[in-house]
Amino acid sequence: MSTVLLECHDLVKVFPGVRALDGVGLRLTSGTVHALLGENGAGKSTLIKVLTGVHSPDGGGLTWCGEPVHLRSPLEATRTGIGVVHQERNLIPGFSVAENITLQKPPSHRGLVDREAMTAPALACLAELGVDLDPHQPVRELSVAQQQLVETAKALYTESRVLLLDEPTASLSPQETERLFEVIRRLAARGACVVFVSHKLEEVFAVCDTVTVLRDGKSVLEAAPLADHTHDDIVGLMVGRAHAATEMRPRTVDRTATPTLVLDKVSTAGGHRDISLEVRPGEIVGLYGLVGAGRSELVKAVLGLDRITGGEVRVHGRPARISSPRQALHKFGIGYVTENRKEEGVFLEQPIVRNITVTVWKRLARALGFVSAREERDVAQDHVERLGIRVAGLGQNAGELSGGNQQKVSLAKWLAADTRLLVIDEPTVGVDVRTKHAFHELIWDLARDGLPILLISSDLAEMVTLADRIVVMTDHHVRGEVDNDRDYDRMSGRVIRLIHDRADSSADSADAKAVSG
Amino acid sequence: MNRFNVKRIPASWDGAALRRFSRSTAAMLLCVVVAGYLALGVASSGSFFEGPSVRVFLQYLATPILIGLAQMVALCVGQLNLAVGALGGFTACLMGVLMADHGVPAGLAVIVGLLTATAIGLVTGLVIVATQINGFIVTLATMTILLGAQYRLTGTRTVDGYSPTLRDLGTAAPLNIPLVFVTALAAAALLAAFMYRTVAGRRLLAAGGNPLAARLSGISTDRQIVAAHTLSGLLIGVAAVTATASLPGVNRSVGGDWLLPSFAAPIIGGVALTGGSIAVFGTVLAAFVTRLIDAARAQFSLDPSWVNLLIGLVVLGTVAGGRLHQTRLGKTGGTAAPPAEGGKQPPAVLPQPGGAR
Repeated sequence: MSTVLLECHDLVKVFPGVRALDGVGLRLTSGTVHALLGENGAGKSTLIKVLTGVHSPDGGGLTWCGEPVHLRSPLEATRTGIGVVHQERNLIPGFSVAENITLQKPPSHRGLVDREAMTAPALACLAELGVDLDPHQPVRELSVAQQQLVETAKALYTESRVLLLDEPTASLSPQETERLFEVIRRLAARGACVVFVSHKLEEVFAVCDTVTVLRDGKSVLEAAPLADHTHDDIVGLMVGRAHAATEMRPRTVDRTATPTLVLDKVSTAGGHRDISLEVRPGEIVGLYGLVGAGRSELVKAVLGLDRITGGEVRVHGRPARISSPRQALHKFGIGYVTENRKEEGVFLEQPIVRNITVTVWKRLARALGFVSAREERDVAQDHVERLGIRVAGLGQNAGELSGGNQQKVSLAKWLAADTRLLVIDEPTVGVDVRTKHAFHELIWDLARDGLPILLISSDLAEMVTLADRIVVMTDHHVRGEVDNDRDYDRMSGRVIRLIHDRADSSADSADAKAVSG
Repeated sequence: MNRFNVKRIPASWDGAALRRFSRSTAAMLLCVVVAGYLALGVASSGSFFEGPSVRVFLQYLATPILIGLAQMVALCVGQLNLAVGALGGFTACLMGVLMADHGVPAGLAVIVGLLTATAIGLVTGLVIVATQINGFIVTLATMTILLGAQYRLTGTRTVDGYSPTLRDLGTAAPLNIPLVFVTALAAAALLAAFMYRTVAGRRLLAAGGNPLAARLSGISTDRQIVAAHTLSGLLIGVAAVTATASLPGVNRSVGGDWLLPSFAAPIIGGVALTGGSIAVFGTVLAAFVTRLIDAARAQFSLDPSWVNLLIGLVVLGTVAGGRLHQTRLGKTGGTAAPPAEGGKQPPAVLPQPGGAR
């Protein structure tokens, strides 16, 4: 009863200097949830672009329900029945939910868009997803998770039978993720094929039936039942070798040491209330929460980018009033590896050498403020080697690097500055498994060398791997704190309880001590 | 710590510099300048190569170079300076009036002029930072104010008969190379060293290229905006000095035709309007190109409207040509990266404190 909806064979797509797809096969069957896996650069994005008509393949072909098809534009793909929800939101913020859902084919009456007629089909799509949203509400007022559901509804409106979800859970909470999974399962039960692209293997195993793995532009596993494979199998296929579990060297934290950073009942103009937390030398403190919980904003307030309205910040044991990131760096030695590396982390149009030394120009300056080119290159070279940044040369522009390497550059500038406290914000969003492990080891080793680290992440697995304590934040409040015993299931249970039982945090006091009064 | 498969970095990454230059806007402009100059020389049956012609050509090149550089510095931090002409004209008239009406010695007048222009740039920058009003609007206002001040200083008269020493220096041309031109080149060289090699110059570029990243890296973007306008003011001051020295007199029309050329030079020279890039050599060469067109007009008594048309076409042509060149480089591979699969970003739903400006 299940039919093959979309099939492709021997797909080839060549870009200058690289065969992005080099013989990819894919078979998407109705009623299944299909995982599309692969490291960055394996060809996932290119494949998605071919399937959605953005690129036309240089070899191989596609069939739709057994008939050969040529998708020459995204519009043709949509008409065929292939929908995609990109990781970047493609909604128009000022339009209502209904207007966004019906954007591609607005109901019209003599050439005029009929706003009233939009509501019914929009509601139908939302109901199909089991979502309760006001169709007249502007999209900008919705949460990230809700916006994602609107995008999914948009794909339903165009009657997509193949729905590609590109990293859909990157910014969702565990509960929201679970709800999305329900929606995915419902769509599959109705005869669609949902293609789930994710770096989070835990989620893949939770929701997918079949799997295709890409490596170096080839499909190394094609439409195989996921039940036949283990987590380690899949990772092995993705990275092309049996994956050795990361062995972290032992690391201990002296809990009696003076904390490097103390927030004591800090409130901010951004809406944080009575936030308390401490980070000690050599300790990794996780700040877990969802996008919008106010974690990055809290850090930015501490760095002086927003006003602190109450409480006290203490750095190195002394009360600190930090008025700007400049002061944070030069006076207190605080570095902040931002989550938006392209927007806030690197200077895309500038050479790697300057991206790394930007924090230490002052130190490298000679007479009249001239920077010694050789010393500057030495500093950059040291860090490029230390972090294994793959570059063509130090003069290469940072914009030409891959995402993972840009992230390393963004980290390198703080290591170059010998910061005494490092805040790392979502270090591994959108980086592949191998780089992720490398980053985890690196962060771990930095702490091992005594650096206090405040780690912000929405990836619970990452938190459990790295953090010594996990501070849980929702809605600009700290809900509690958990000592990490590195058991993922137990930790996720406690963290989720903290997020949910905000009114009843004392019930869980055996597991977690509530920090906020 | 070789856990990331370290790839050795080629020792001489400078070797690529020459190749990169050959593809740059500056290289293209250099060809245009040389070809244009030769063409003009041939068309004028050699008279364009003679000493006096060369001298006149270079004499009137100083101001375009300096105002182009002044605008470039503002563009570099992502600002526009609409007051280039007004500030230059005002400063020139101020110096003229000081010398002619108040008998101030030339040296002192020049110093006062330079300081005034710098101070006005500083104040402009401070106002922009303090009020958070867009630099376009603030410099539009200062432009109007300065035009009024210039008119107030000179009225409808032409101030002349000031310091012969300054005039002599302004027209002096050892080896047929005018001193004012040498001044402009020296300013360009100093500016290049400042921008490329000093901490302060790099901060300007960093703040212009990515204000958010700069702020988070410990660079005060506010200070960079103030610094850029101050430096822009100083360069305009130098331009005003060269103009005062080489013109027969100053009046309210000085500076009136500076604004658009000040944009044309850096834009043709390869500076991005979005900030974060500079091209000192390119700007100088672009000033050469526009001056060549002007010289051709004088030589062959062309209709001025044709000259404007030509300059307009050159602006569009070089920018479009540069764009085309980039796209072609991207297509033929070379150093261009394949479409990155990475670069996935968490959606930017967070409010950005500070914001870009």
